[in-house]
Amino acid sequence: MNLESTVQAEIAIVTDSTADIPSALTEELGIHVVPNVIMIQNQSFEDGIDITREEFYERLVTTKSISTGTASSGKYEEKFDLLLGKGSRHVLSIHAASLLSGIFNAASLAARSFGDRVTVVDSRQLSLGLGFQVLAAAEDAIRGAPLDNILSHLEDVSRRVRLIAMLDTLEYVRRSGRVSWARARIGELLKIKPFIELKNGHVLSLGEARTTQKGITRLKDLLLALGPVERLAVLHTNAEDQARQFLASLPITPPDSFLVNVTTVIGTHTGPNGIGFTVVLP
Amino acid sequence: MTPDTQTSQKNILRMNFRQRPVDGIALKNLIQAGLIWLRTNQQVVNSLNVFPVPDGDTGTNMVLTMQSALDEIADSAERNFGKMAHSVAHGALMGARGNSGVILSQLWRGFARAVDSQDFLDAPSFARAFAAARDTAYKGVVRPVEGTILTVAKDIAAAAETALGHTDDPFTLLEFVVKAADQSVERTPELLPVLKDAGVVDAGGKGLFYILEGMLRYANGQGLELPVTAVQPLSAMVLGEAIETIEPGQDVEVVVDFKPHSSLDIEDFYRTLEGMGTSIQVGEGDGLYRFHIHVPLENQYKPIEYAKSLGTFTRVTMENLIAQMEDLEASRGGSKLTLAQVEQNQIAVVVVSPGRGISRIFASLGAAAVVEGGQTMNPSTEEIIQAFVNLPTDRIIILPNNKNIILAASNAATLTVKKVAVIPCKSIPQGLAAILRLAPDGDFEAVVEEMTAAINEVVTGEITTATRSVEIKKVSTKEGQFIALLNGELVLAAKNLEGACLGLLEKAHADHYELITLFSGAGISNIEANRIGDLIRQRYSRQEIEVKEGGQPHYHFILSIE
Repeated sequence: MNLESTVQAEIAIVTDSTADIPSALTEELGIHVVPNVIMIQNQSFEDGIDITREEFYERLVTTKSISTGTASSGKYEEKFDLLLGKGSRHVLSIHAASLLSGIFNAASLAARSFGDRVTVVDSRQLSLGLGFQVLAAAEDAIRGAPLDNILSHLEDVSRRVRLIAMLDTLEYVRRSGRVSWARARIGELLKIKPFIELKNGHVLSLGEARTTQKGITRLKDLLLALGPVERLAVLHTNAEDQARQFLASLPITPPDSFLVNVTTVIGTHTGPNGIGFTVVLP
Repeated sequence: MTPDTQTSQKNILRMNFRQRPVDGIALKNLIQAGLIWLRTNQQVVNSLNVFPVPDGDTGTNMVLTMQSALDEIADSAERNFGKMAHSVAHGALMGARGNSGVILSQLWRGFARAVDSQDFLDAPSFARAFAAARDTAYKGVVRPVEGTILTVAKDIAAAAETALGHTDDPFTLLEFVVKAADQSVERTPELLPVLKDAGVVDAGGKGLFYILEGMLRYANGQGLELPVTAVQPLSAMVLGEAIETIEPGQDVEVVVDFKPHSSLDIEDFYRTLEGMGTSIQVGEGDGLYRFHIHVPLENQYKPIEYAKSLGTFTRVTMENLIAQMEDLEASRGGSKLTLAQVEQNQIAVVVVSPGRGISRIFASLGAAAVVEGGQTMNPSTEEIIQAFVNLPTDRIIILPNNKNIILAASNAATLTVKKVAVIPCKSIPQGLAAILRLAPDGDFEAVVEEMTAAINEVVTGEITTATRSVEIKKVSTKEGQFIALLNGELVLAAKNLEGACLGLLEKAHADHYELITLFSGAGISNIEANRIGDLIRQRYSRQEIEVKEGGQPHYHFILSIE
């Protein structure tokens, strides 16, 4: 970390590892990422630090007892304390949807010790749906924008973010127990690829596809139906080839588009071989 | 009875039945007469099937529609003709089943509007009502086809107009109308090539003719219980549907084949059978007679004794309908259906499904309500409405999954304050393709558009048994053979199931697709279904093959190719 060397911004931006922002960007923009915890057979790993995403997905399929957890509120307290001690006047901590994860809660608990010097925001999104909000806030912070402006900008971006994905199976979503409608969908047909949209912290059903080719075509149609986009990230859960195929099939892509093997926190709940996208609409 | 007394009795009846002025009560009697006569000839109408497949039985659908109309007015003593006509129209609308039933209900709707609150019916208003009936029925169909019940409605409206130049008596006008209906029905094969190819007239038009003729027969004091053409060709007899129409007290189904010693007096024969039971059908081919009857348990041997008294019987089958019903109930209760729970303002999908397995699959894909029905059991408009009226949302999408149910579903859409869209899916695979696009929280119009577009992305195959021998579009089939339909078109006939399935897949160019799903019918064991599935896997090693229990009647397999 080059924390020591960068000039501390007035407002420090914190997020968690579910934001899926490439490390080059977090470094460039001085974004502080608190890693989540992955438990594999009673052993704990820090997301993206002790275990790569490729390793994680391999073990997800072979190991039954995988779970993910949030960093403790103590970890967040440490981080906030460090940043405020190093000269930031304020910390803005932006996190994964509180309806789907305990991260927001842990960060909020930690923030209590700092009064109004720490603001915690529920992005109501995951992955780059969260990441694009964090990037917007970080860019504002570097320009020296006041907190109120950054917060209203965040609110505005969150309204323009869309996250849609095609999973390989509904099994992991069902097992996670967080999506009520998935419980009723007892797999009658074996070949089903569920489509989901993450909206305001809720996982909504967008139907299903029965073959991969039709699924990729539909994913493209859903993306194109949104019209021109400001930012695009193609997401996958260890399905890089399919994700690249999807990206290549798009007629135009914004210049700074990402291809991301998404956070393990999502991966645990969606299973491998999913692909999707996050966009920010103009 | 001497001819003389017969005539005088007829005259008395004429005086009674041609009562004037024609008020609400008279209409009620006419409706009842139309229904009875249609029911008497129900099997004749049912047998007018273009394809040799067990199809939505037009006669049954029209009878049930008229029955619903009569039920609506059964307790009414309304004397106002127009008000009674409105009740008839409402009853028909709620009970409408199948395309023919829906068009019939539209005819009554137009008819009722034209006579609005008129106290009595006279000839000019009768003619006006026929014209309005025609207009409403044409408007109720998206792409009207000539050579159908619509053409018959048009021809009778013209005849009624003509009749006004000759008479001011509504019953005489009815005579013109019935004659025109008869001629119009006979002309339908000239207008619609599929009818000509199949050698039949239009079933819906024929049903309409029977309703009107029944009214006239009543007015003339003629009997309504005995069909004029009581004997149908053996091949046209469709048995085995009995379970759907079982009446209380008629516990046993008896089917007897026999060769009479001398020529049979059909009227006398029919009347004797009517004394024993219900659901009578009589067929004849090459001197062999077959009759079908439902009788109470204590009378189960009477039909056989009777056949023995007339000739030599060659075959008897007897089935206990009550036991069959119980088995059916038990198998239906077997596994519980878990439907999707819709929340307020979500989009709810209502599915018409012909079998338990298919219902379960639709439920697993998010269906919020299932209406049982399909090929030979078209649900009524009211049944469809009942399925969604209590759902906690006002945004409803209906998947009819059968071409004969689309109209009834569309009708349901017009009879509710809820926002209802009907996806015009004509098969189970099309319905599945549509529900796969369900986004319950999405924009209603966008979801409807996407679901509608999706039905063209799948190829439908159906395997059934030919109900008669026929040649359609160069495919010649014999009764009892397995036949394959590709997107609703007859493409081949085969000796066995695997031949039909593999032949169908070849015609469908299944090797160009990714996934083949087979839904096995009610009569197919899991072992048989898997055997066929394995044969297909061997032939199509690059495609994914999935075999599911569909549970649908009549269709041994429904195939989805995508």
